[in-house]
Amino acid sequence: MDTKNNNIDRKEAIKRTGLLLGGVIFAPNILGVLKGCTATTGDWTPVLFSTSQANTVTALADVILPADDTPSASEVGVPQFIETMVNETYTEEQRDAFLSGLDKFAEDSRAELEVDYTEGTDEQRYEFTYFQNQTAVEEPPNGETPFILSFKELTMLGYFTSEAGATQVLRYEAVPGTYDGCMPLEEVGRTWAT
Amino acid sequence: MNLNLKAKQENTYDAIVVGTGISGGWAAKELTENGLNTLVLERGRNVEHVKDYPTMTKDPWELPRADQIPLEERKDYQKQMRTGYTIRESTKHWWVKDTDQPYEEEKRFDWIRGYHVGGRSIMWGRQSYRWSPMDFEANGKEGVAVDWPIRYEDVADWYTHVERFAGISGEALGLPQLPDSDFLPPWDLNCVEEELKASMAENFNRVLTIGRPANLSQAHNGRGTCMNRNLCSRGCPYGAYFSSNAATLPAAEATGNMTLRPHSIVNEVMYDEETGKATGVRVVDSESGEEIEFYSKIVFLNASTVGSTSILLNSRSDRFPDGMGNDSGELGHNMMDHHFRVGANGVWEGHQDEYYWGRRPTGFYIPRYRNIDSNDRDYIRGFGYQGSASRQGWQRGVQELAIGSELKELVSSPGNWTMGMTAFGEMLPDHSNRMYLNHDKTDKWGQPTVVFDVEFKDNEFKMREDMKNDAAEMLEAAGMKNVSTYDDPGGPGLGIHEMGTARMGRDPETSVLNGQNQVHNVPNVFVTDGSCMTSSACQNPSLTYMALTARAANFAAEELKKGNL
Repeated sequence: MDTKNNNIDRKEAIKRTGLLLGGVIFAPNILGVLKGCTATTGDWTPVLFSTSQANTVTALADVILPADDTPSASEVGVPQFIETMVNETYTEEQRDAFLSGLDKFAEDSRAELEVDYTEGTDEQRYEFTYFQNQTAVEEPPNGETPFILSFKELTMLGYFTSEAGATQVLRYEAVPGTYDGCMPLEEVGRTWAT
Repeated sequence: MNLNLKAKQENTYDAIVVGTGISGGWAAKELTENGLNTLVLERGRNVEHVKDYPTMTKDPWELPRADQIPLEERKDYQKQMRTGYTIRESTKHWWVKDTDQPYEEEKRFDWIRGYHVGGRSIMWGRQSYRWSPMDFEANGKEGVAVDWPIRYEDVADWYTHVERFAGISGEALGLPQLPDSDFLPPWDLNCVEEELKASMAENFNRVLTIGRPANLSQAHNGRGTCMNRNLCSRGCPYGAYFSSNAATLPAAEATGNMTLRPHSIVNEVMYDEETGKATGVRVVDSESGEEIEFYSKIVFLNASTVGSTSILLNSRSDRFPDGMGNDSGELGHNMMDHHFRVGANGVWEGHQDEYYWGRRPTGFYIPRYRNIDSNDRDYIRGFGYQGSASRQGWQRGVQELAIGSELKELVSSPGNWTMGMTAFGEMLPDHSNRMYLNHDKTDKWGQPTVVFDVEFKDNEFKMREDMKNDAAEMLEAAGMKNVSTYDDPGGPGLGIHEMGTARMGRDPETSVLNGQNQVHNVPNVFVTDGSCMTSSACQNPSLTYMALTARAANFAAEELKKGNL
């Protein structure tokens, strides 16, 4: 297979995606406040991921759910959550598939961006990730869930079961007290976390 | 000699109740309130209301792994996990480890259970529906299995009795096929459920109503109002749903007549050939391994369907070589459950500006409508539906193009309303559907293990066609979009409504229990859990177990006073 041509095709596709979405894709609020930052693993010591895998996981999780008005995925511990889930709840087969998916994501992004995913600019990371996600959503392969969607789901699961995700992006009431089956959405405001 | 006499005296009670789940709790309450000095035995650990609910107030972020258990631990729960919802970090302590409690399957059978004080009354679904006159009459009219020895009128007042104590919320409808309970105020339907209700009335002349859960819509008998957390299966800090721990056992305790003994595995009901009665039970202490005998005038078996049936099968004597009360050869046979996991889902595109507040502890219910006035289907009996509508949560964002802040924004507003409904169908009793004991394979307490040989049959499979197609038809008629159906029966037992293996009947030659739940030919042994059921109807069964237990316990107490037992 001619990977170089594939890469060119992908670059072309990303450009088209950008055009299709117009200004939205480069709007500052989408890029968040991560500009210039390279994600680090903070005080988390990975037990399953290598340092480079951990860095990719952190960077990717923060592209999927960046800091803006509310915290980023890494600020609420999502990278560590992802590692725990993969390490403790996945079968060996699922774990291997996740790790090879992660490595392939890093390789593909390096080929595409010509630097490591973690070293790319915010725009580069966003575009590459957007395209990966778009391909997986619009052209789902038969059988296994594409890596990017497994990763996205884990990221969202970790984030929206965190206190910040559940209470700041979504709405959470530990003790609702009453039940009302039909009320104006604006009175609730946001999606229920549970 | 004196020491033995003293020990025997200390171990002697008026009544022994085996099991502390929904029916055992009721037996304990009614017997002790009748003044009987009652020993209540439980094979598992003690669970005190509120104090022993370790996860009841945990927020999502306080549970590791988003409430999933580690792969390593899953090995212990291979069968218990078959439901897909039972084994969570927040609930795993309520379910047995299959590695400790093995059983065998000639055919797949999902025996899902918990061993502790309160049993499955802690984790039950709480849906509480009376049976109708039609349900008690069906076997006799249709010549299926054996006739029930009782009719609705025999149980009606006992339904009222248990409902007033337990607290059942719901809407009175006056339907002959689903009699009303003595209700607390109902929960509300939500906007989209109201749409389906209106369409069903208009297009099909069928009824949709709010579910009837044993949850308190207002404070009741010293227990608190439901706070709409919908975390019931972790145990409720308000005591706002019915469980043995919150309701019946405290009432029994308050009489001063109850002795509760956890860690007590009953392996046999002891029989006296001379009197023709039981003398008590033999127990293995699950912690010390010690064998202990307890004596009583009456014994109530409430160890759950499989548990009570196992005890009877294991209670062998010269008089009953095949198990106590098994003159008929029906003991262990006629296993039933409800068959379900068939129905439809759809999307409602309107009501975008409306949402709900709170997590209601129930969904809606569609009472049975098939084969009521006449049998016009290619199967007999019928089914009801349980379902609900809700708006999609953050999960819908996974399959969307959005990432980044756009993704956060997207999922912070709820998605479309979706609705799902699942049918619960009646399963016919069939002699070939059975459980039996394997004495060659024992568990770690030296007790024989259970083997299941049960399958759904023709009537169930024919019914499932209607269960599936009717659901889709009703959703489509209401204007739902993207309606899809599913049909995955799983194994019998998955409904966790296993029943029927010591059935009631009029004739000792064809049934195990009489119309008062007494073992035929052993009048001081009563069985009032699911094993007594002669047919399964399509309603959730626990309310009927409560009513039958209260009825039998009061009968037993009276007979004892009259000197008849």
